Amino acid sequence: MDSFWLVTMAILAGAVRGGTPFLFVSLGECLTEKSGKINLGQEGSLLAGAMTAYAVSYHSGSPWYGVLAAMGVGMLLGLLFAWLSQLPRTNDIAVGIALMLFGSGIAFFFGKPYIQPSAPLLPGIPLGAWSDSTQIQAALRICPLFFLGLLTAYFLAWFLRSTRWGLQIRAAGDQPSAARALGISLKAVRTWAAMAGSGLAAVGGSYLSLYYPGAWTEAISGGQGLMAVALVIFARWDPKMCLVASLLFGGAQSVGPALQAAGIQTGYYLWNASPYVLTLIVMVITCSTKKSLAGAPGALATGE
Amino acid sequence: MAELSATPSVQPGSAGLAPLPASPRLRRAWGPAFEAILIPLGAILLALVLFGLFCKAQGQDPFKVYASIYKASFGSWFAFQNTLMRTAPLMLTALCTALPARLGMIVIGNEGALVMGGIGAVIAGLAVPAWPHHLALGFMALSGIVWGGLWISLSAGLRQYRGVNETISSLLLNYISIAILNHLVNGPMKDPTSLNKPSSFPIAEEIMLGRITFGDFTMRVHWGLAFGLVACVILWFLMQRTTFGFQARFIGANPKAARLGGLPVNRTTLITCFLAGGCAGVAGMVEVAAVHGRANESLAAGFGYAGILVAFVARFHPLAIVPVSLLLGGILASSGILQRAHKLPDSTSLVFQGLVFLVILFSDSLYGRFKIFKP
Amino acid sequence: MTLIPPENLERFTQAPASLDLYRITKKFGDFTAADEISLTVPPGTVHALLGENGAGKSTLVKCVMGFHPATSGEIMVGGHVREIQHPSDARKYGIGMVYQHFTLVPSMTVTENLVLSRPDVPAAVNWKRETARLEEFMATEAPFKVPLHKRASELAAGEKQKTEILKQLYLKSRILILDEPTSVLTPAEATEVLALLRQMTVAGRLSIIIITHKFREVFSFADDVTVLRRGKLAGQGKVKDLDRDSLAAMMMGGTSSAKPVPSAPRATTSTSSRRTALRVKQLSVLGDNGLTAVKDVSFELAEGEVLGIAGVAGNGQRELMEVLGGQRPAATGSLEAHGQPYHGTRRDILAHQFHTLPEEPLRNACAPMLSMAENIALRTFDQPPQARWKWLLNFRAIRKSALPLIEAYSIKTRGPDTPIRDLSGGNVQRAILARELSTLPLKILVVSEPCFGLDFAATDFVHQKITEARDRGVAVLVVSSDLDELLKITDRLLVMSGGQITYETPTATADLAVIGTHMAGHG
Repeated sequence: MDSFWLVTMAILAGAVRGGTPFLFVSLGECLTEKSGKINLGQEGSLLAGAMTAYAVSYHSGSPWYGVLAAMGVGMLLGLLFAWLSQLPRTNDIAVGIALMLFGSGIAFFFGKPYIQPSAPLLPGIPLGAWSDSTQIQAALRICPLFFLGLLTAYFLAWFLRSTRWGLQIRAAGDQPSAARALGISLKAVRTWAAMAGSGLAAVGGSYLSLYYPGAWTEAISGGQGLMAVALVIFARWDPKMCLVASLLFGGAQSVGPALQAAGIQTGYYLWNASPYVLTLIVMVITCSTKKSLAGAPGALATGE
Repeated sequence: MAELSATPSVQPGSAGLAPLPASPRLRRAWGPAFEAILIPLGAILLALVLFGLFCKAQGQDPFKVYASIYKASFGSWFAFQNTLMRTAPLMLTALCTALPARLGMIVIGNEGALVMGGIGAVIAGLAVPAWPHHLALGFMALSGIVWGGLWISLSAGLRQYRGVNETISSLLLNYISIAILNHLVNGPMKDPTSLNKPSSFPIAEEIMLGRITFGDFTMRVHWGLAFGLVACVILWFLMQRTTFGFQARFIGANPKAARLGGLPVNRTTLITCFLAGGCAGVAGMVEVAAVHGRANESLAAGFGYAGILVAFVARFHPLAIVPVSLLLGGILASSGILQRAHKLPDSTSLVFQGLVFLVILFSDSLYGRFKIFKP
Repeated sequence: MTLIPPENLERFTQAPASLDLYRITKKFGDFTAADEISLTVPPGTVHALLGENGAGKSTLVKCVMGFHPATSGEIMVGGHVREIQHPSDARKYGIGMVYQHFTLVPSMTVTENLVLSRPDVPAAVNWKRETARLEEFMATEAPFKVPLHKRASELAAGEKQKTEILKQLYLKSRILILDEPTSVLTPAEATEVLALLRQMTVAGRLSIIIITHKFREVFSFADDVTVLRRGKLAGQGKVKDLDRDSLAAMMMGGTSSAKPVPSAPRATTSTSSRRTALRVKQLSVLGDNGLTAVKDVSFELAEGEVLGIAGVAGNGQRELMEVLGGQRPAATGSLEAHGQPYHGTRRDILAHQFHTLPEEPLRNACAPMLSMAENIALRTFDQPPQARWKWLLNFRAIRKSALPLIEAYSIKTRGPDTPIRDLSGGNVQRAILARELSTLPLKILVVSEPCFGLDFAATDFVHQKITEARDRGVAVLVVSSDLDELLKITDRLLVMSGGQITYETPTATADLAVIGTHMAGHG
């Protein structure tokens, strides 16, 4: 087999493998932000989801129960976010920071006993079984959660465009006064959006602990939940663009380890910072002080 | 966002408890002040109760846990000094969030600024090992201020000139600063003798920051505590009593109106954020010069994140930061005993911090809800 | 103007109902916002609701719409007493409202907005079917056309207003309540929209209540009128039985305070003989959406002159104001004050005594949480005596300098330490006006919508202050969407449309019709 194809395939596989958590968190955040609130607590949901999924998988023996449980915990955190951020005189950014702290605290506290034992992990779908090359087999072994994420991205795009709830979410996020005049309950809409969004982020967390890297550690996330928030800006609040951006970031994340594997040791620790630097660069490129971003929900960061 | 830096105001027309039979004049003068003190205190109490329930759920007797926390933080002179040692960096990192909050910004890059300040201090200390004690310390502090200050100014600049959200950028900078630290202590600055914990070369013993002494009496607490206290008072004065502070508060309340008055919005923002980052940088310098003597991953011990919490609980008031830092310092100091005596993992204090944070934010919505505080 | 084809009218089998309000009272705590107000709207008529701001017009119609149920009184639709507790009740009885501020979702297309407004939005929308249905509605029932596929944010104000009205027809509302519907339209657009609505009432398709403060609209459009004043019924009757003076008397409670502003002789001498205070040179400005909002605008403002900029809101006036106030950078072009380049820095402002008062002062010119005294100190806080050695604040001096202004501008407040956001809109306006006008060496003053939300007496007060400043030799620029106001106080008029200055005329010889066509961009 042509080595060029091998490398390309390895990069693509890396993008899919590393990008799946980004995909779930960014889709969740996209949904939440469409309703008009920014949830920085997605990082906490991601960690709590990762821990819960691992623990439940360990005790029940089924990783899929783990994924479901993670989603439930994420939705609870989302409920907490929705409630606190819609109280008078509170602010969604601050509530998000608090939930980041609280979510990780909860995850580390209850996750302590699960750092050692190994839980059953999610199976990979061996799409490369036709080939005898072990590299291709490894590269084409894809987690079913990725396909779920893929479906979610397209579903969310359709949902926001063509369903009553989707239209109501967009109205609430773009022009709250108009939504109110239409008789839409901002509170209900935003609560559901935040719960679903946070639940998706937790599913992203379950991917981390149950598939790749596939173990529960306290350093499992490293701010991926937060980077996904930046990704949504890059994706201009479009679920399909979230997919593209997530794959891009997943690919970029594997640069450091790939270089190390290739024997390049210089600046290994600096390469670890590359996703963060990339996120910053992306934000610098997409943001502007001069005009509001195309596609940005009108009520974001207005406190309305 | 500007809502955060609001001094609590009493909103008309809300329901609440019946008014106290105190004289109206007394209440007009003291009502809002009581409200500003009692609501956070009540919130901390509520957080303690919730934390007790949490411990109960873990099979621990909450009262024994409280007793342990008290004993390990304020129960003895020894314990209290432990608390004070943690108070110093907390005050300094809390200022890193509190000052920009006056401008309506939420900066959470405290940990990163602390790390960068520590790196700056080590580089300065290594450069001048033979300077006189005070001069060398001053140089290290200055270096810490500049490194930490520039780090947060970077966030501020990205926000003012590129419209990048400062909360996200400052948090990303935390991760980047830790990567830089790891790079330096594993590469260019690595002390070959530090094996299991890669560290930089140590700074000279002669230029370390000493302990606080009164005559013959020497505390275990280093002078960093004084740095923190002085910084809180000076910055309170700057923000509350000077024209610069007035500018900053006006910008925080409404940048558009500030521009109308020709106030230098960008310059004020950058300077304030530089000072804020500088405070966290000094915290890093203190950690290096008084505690570790070198730069390594112990710098990123979570004082930055705890500082965010302190700033929020203190409602971004530089003077209120002092008692709140003391309180949280005590809780951090008791983390060890929770592990040893109660078999609670070290992340327990993180859970408690998260609880306090959530309850404090909840309590923000209570201002003006109690008639009892009405003027 | 398009007439409605008669065959379309026949599609309306259901004639509009009558609407009767009987002794409606609405109390907020101790405050009575509407006091025992009764009125009748017979089917197929237009009823004008006239009154100053705060007279209780909005309170009354919000009771009818179910936003806040009336404290007492009865609402009858088609002769039956109806309980209206919620907006959905109003919708059920065919009552719809067109708001002063648009209720369209900007990022959605007109089609999406119309479908979303239905009470029975399907759980999953079949866009093909909905589009076909809407196209049919547009082709048959709709009295005017709007582009269905465009986003609401891309529509001009007139199109938005038409969409709002269309929305009500699409929802089969037969009683329409219009809240100052023409405030965002050009005179021509206003006439067109009102004429269409009038046609539909005459044809028996609609009954209308229109809230307005424009006499012209009452006389050319309404059958009946009800005048409210301070929450009470001040007068009622057939429009054809009334004249301007009697309406004005009702609105102001018998004592007309509409006295002319005493002024120095108007700019009869040529302005060129006076010194130019402000020169705007080929200014272009980008709006929030990144598109050009102000295109190549140039004009000069002389000392002792009041120059007005007329135009429909949203034609670049806000962006122009923001550049003059230093709140927005110019894309190209420059400003000159007294012959020197002007950049809006604090030093420039002080040197040229150039003050700007934007619209909506609480949002654009105030620090809402800071005290009134601190807000008034914005121009002076870094000067002695308010600042010692130019850096140490003297709070006592800041308080002290606010006290005489509270008196002189009769600002109603608990004291100078009250946060300014606790003041009412009119009092905020007065406080900010005090800040901008009270510095004696003032040389250039730029104000936008200075009287928005003020009552008659306050409006006169503001106009008087502006004229006084002019007579002191101050160069004054007034940006307003109220043409009557501009005609009253300015010496010279510019018309702004589509981001450009399209017309200039001395006010004394101004022709309303010509100004109107230029405002509409048909100059």
